[in-house]
Amino acid sequence: MLKLLLALSGFIFSQVLFSQGFQVNFQGQKQQGMGCAGTALFQDGASLFYNPGSAGFSNENSVNVAMTGVLANVLYVDSATGQGYRTNSPIGTPFSAYGLFQSKKEARLKYGIAVYTPFGSTVQYEDDWIGRFALTRLELKAIFIQPTLSFRFNDYVSIGGGPILTTGNVNLQKDIPVQFADGSYAHVELSGKAMGYGFNAGIHAKLSEQLALGLTYRSQVNMNLNNGYATFTVPSSLEPNFPSGKFTSSLPLPSVTTVGLAFTPSEKFAAVLDINHVGWKAYDTLAFDYEQNTASLADTKSARNYKDIFAFRGGFSYRVMEEMDVRLGGGYGFSPVQNGYVTPETPDKNRAYYTFGWTFRFGEQFSMDVSVYYTQIKRGDRNLETNLAGTFTTKAIAPGFSLVYKW
Amino acid sequence: MKYFILIVAIGFGVVSCKPKFEEPAMSAGEIDPARFIMIGGAHTSGYADDALYAEGQENSLANLIAGQLEKVGGGSFYQPLISSNSVGVNLNGLSKLILGYKTDCENVTSLSPVRLAAGGDLSIWSDNLYNANFHFGNYGVPGLKVSDAFTANYAAQNNYFNRMKSAVSASVMEDAMAQNPTFFSLFLGLDDVMAYAKAGGKGQTLPTVAEFQADYTAVVEALISSGAKGVLATIPDVTKMPYFTTIPYNGLSLTEADESNLQLLNNVYNPLGYFFDYGNNPFMMVDSTANDFSVRQLLPGEYLLLSLPLDSVKCNQVGVLYPFRDEFVLTLQEVNLLRSRIASYNQVIVNLSNQFGLALVRTDEFIGSLSDGFVSNGVSMSSKFVSGGAYSLDGIHLNARGNAVLANEFIKAINSKYKARIPAVNATAASANFFP
Repeated sequence: MLKLLLALSGFIFSQVLFSQGFQVNFQGQKQQGMGCAGTALFQDGASLFYNPGSAGFSNENSVNVAMTGVLANVLYVDSATGQGYRTNSPIGTPFSAYGLFQSKKEARLKYGIAVYTPFGSTVQYEDDWIGRFALTRLELKAIFIQPTLSFRFNDYVSIGGGPILTTGNVNLQKDIPVQFADGSYAHVELSGKAMGYGFNAGIHAKLSEQLALGLTYRSQVNMNLNNGYATFTVPSSLEPNFPSGKFTSSLPLPSVTTVGLAFTPSEKFAAVLDINHVGWKAYDTLAFDYEQNTASLADTKSARNYKDIFAFRGGFSYRVMEEMDVRLGGGYGFSPVQNGYVTPETPDKNRAYYTFGWTFRFGEQFSMDVSVYYTQIKRGDRNLETNLAGTFTTKAIAPGFSLVYKW
Repeated sequence: MKYFILIVAIGFGVVSCKPKFEEPAMSAGEIDPARFIMIGGAHTSGYADDALYAEGQENSLANLIAGQLEKVGGGSFYQPLISSNSVGVNLNGLSKLILGYKTDCENVTSLSPVRLAAGGDLSIWSDNLYNANFHFGNYGVPGLKVSDAFTANYAAQNNYFNRMKSAVSASVMEDAMAQNPTFFSLFLGLDDVMAYAKAGGKGQTLPTVAEFQADYTAVVEALISSGAKGVLATIPDVTKMPYFTTIPYNGLSLTEADESNLQLLNNVYNPLGYFFDYGNNPFMMVDSTANDFSVRQLLPGEYLLLSLPLDSVKCNQVGVLYPFRDEFVLTLQEVNLLRSRIASYNQVIVNLSNQFGLALVRTDEFIGSLSDGFVSNGVSMSSKFVSGGAYSLDGIHLNARGNAVLANEFIKAINSKYKARIPAVNATAASANFFP
C-alpha cells in the first residue's frame, strides 16, 4: 500500500554549449580569422571542410593540423533567488587535420582526407548548483572523418564531395532529487558511443578574376546511440526502481547549406562572406529508451522544438608583408533555441562574434596560422520542462593555431 | 612564435573570460522587517515527520521566511529549538518518523515510515527556553487553534507552548505582542481544521463561521494595532494531503487467489445489498445510519486516514469483515462540512486582508497545485505519500523542501503587496525525505 513511486523528470541530453550547433566552424584557422567564413575562397586544406569543391582550384600537396582552445564560462543567475552559479568546464580542444594531394602538378583531380571535431566540449556546472537536477556535466566528443574528391572542370568551375563517417562519445550526468540517508543526492550517468553517416559536397565557381561563388551542402548526420549505459547511484532501497542498464537514443546533427562569396581585388586583399542555413528543425525531440523500465523509470521524450536558422559570417585578409597576413572578421547567428526550451547545455541566443588572425610564413613550404574568436551572449528563459528560470551569460574566447606544410 | 604568445596573452588578459556576477537588487519595500513574528500552528512551527525536532524547526516555514527577511534588514529570529541530537517528540510521546524497513503480518518487508526511537524525547517538556534578551519570532505552536490565541495560562494545555512561555499566565498573543512586531505572518486556522479531520470528524467540532470570524479578527486587529504590516494565509483543503489520499476508499483488491474470501464476503454482505467482485472493492465501515447492522461500503469521495491499522487490514479482515470505525473515515457528510467551513473561513481571511490592506497567501491554491503536481528547477513535487517529495513522513506536514516552496509563496505575496524585492529561498538546497 505504501509502495513508492518515484517520478523522474525527463532526462536531458543535447549538444554542446558553443553551438548554434556544431556549426562551431572551428575547422580552419585562416577561416576562423575571417569570421569563420571561406566557402568561396580556397586557402588551404581546411577547404575540404568549408567547401570540398574549392580544393580543385588548389595546386599543391599539403598537410595541415590545427587546434583551438575553447575557454568558455557560463554564469547562471536564478531569477527567484538572485543566486549565481558558474561552470568550471575544462578547456575544449577541437582539432582538425587535413591532407590534400594531387598526382601531378596542375592535375584536375585532387584527393583529400579531412578529420575534424565539431564537438569537443565539456560543460561542467559547479557543485550543488540550482539546476543540478537538469544537468551537472555533459561531455560530448565526435570525430568526423571525410575522405574527399575534388574535380576542376575548367578554370571557372570545380566540384567536390565526400562521405562523412562520424564516431563519438557522450557522457551526461545529473543529480536526481532523491536523497540518501546522509542527505546526499542520487545521481545518474548516461554514457555511450554514437555513430553516424553523412556527406559534404560543394561547388566553387570563379565568376571573374576578382569574384568567386561557393555553394555547399553538408548533410544531416543522425548520431545513433545504440549501446548506451545508464548508471544510477541511488539509495539501496530504491535500486529496484532505478536499475542501471542499457538505453538507446539519437541526436540529429543538422544539415548546413552555405552560399559564399569571395572578393579578391588584388593579390594582397581578400574579403569573404558566407550565409549558412542550418536545418535545426530536425532537432524536435530528445528521446531516451531504457531497456528496463520501472514505475519510476519510464522512457522519456523531451520536446526541443528547434527551428531552422540563418547565420551570416564575413571577414578580410590582408598581406602586410611577404611573411605575414592579418585577418579580421565576425558574424551574426540566429539561435535555433526557442523561448521555453533553453537548457543548461545550450544557453544559446542570437549572437554576434568577433575574430582576428595572422598567418606567418617561414619560407615557401611552412607556415603557421593563429586566430582568436570572442563572443558574449546572455539568455533569460523559463524552461517549460524543468521550470528552470533564470539568465545564462556566456563568455567564450577561443584562441587557435595551425601548422601547414605544403609541397 | 612570440606573436602567438602575445595573442594568447591578449586573449586571456584584455578580455576577461568570466561573466561578472551582479548582486541582485533587494529591498524591503514598504515593510519594516526589523522584528518579524509568525503565528500559526504545527505547519508554522517546523513540526514534521510526526514530531517536533531540531532539523524540522530549522526548516520551519517561519524560519525560512525570516531568513529571507534578514537579507532586507530583518533582525535575528529565534525559535524554541530542540537539541539537534534529540529524536524529537510529539504529544503521544513518540519520536520522529524516518524511512526504514518494516515487516508486516504477511512477513513481507518493505520500505515504510518507522519511528526513529522506541520513545520520544520527553525531556524537552521540562525545558523553558524563554529569554527576555532573545525574543522568539516563531509563534507557530503545534495544535494552536484560532480560539486559543488569547487563552491565558495556555501553557497548561499545550506542552509546546510551555517550552516558550514568558510566564505561567501568558497567552500566545500576549507573548507574541510583547515582541513589539514590525511585521507579521499569520497562518492560523489550519490546526482547527486538522484536529477535526485527523479524528475522522469524531468527537471534534469545527468553529462556527461566526466564532472563527470573531477570533481571527481579534488576532489580526491586535497584530496591526501598532502599525505593523503583515501577510495572512488562507487555510488549505486538508483532504488533499497524503494522510487522506494515500489509501483509496476502494483499496480492497481481490484476485483469483482470494476466491474463498470473495465468496465469504458476498455471503455475509449480499443480504445487506453490498456486492464484491474481483478487482478493486470499497472497504466497509461502521455507520449507525446505514441500516440495522450499522455497516456500509465506503463511497467515492470518502477518505480513509493513514492512521488505519494497516496490518489488521491486511491480515485480520479489518475494513472488510470487521468494518472500519468512523474515526478512520472522513465520510461524505464530514468532507462536505469540512470543505464548506474552510471556504467560509477563507472568505473571512480574504476579507480581512482587503479591509486592512494586508498581503494574502492562498495556501489553499498552493496545496491544490501540489496535489496536481508541478516541477520546479527540475524537481518534480506532488502530494504522493513519501515519493512526492514535498510532505514529510506523517503525510500532513511539509518537509524542508515543501516548506521552502511554500515560504516562496509567502515571499511572492509580500513582494507583490508591499513592492518589496525579497529573494526567494533556494528550494533545491532543502532536503526532502531520506531513503535507506
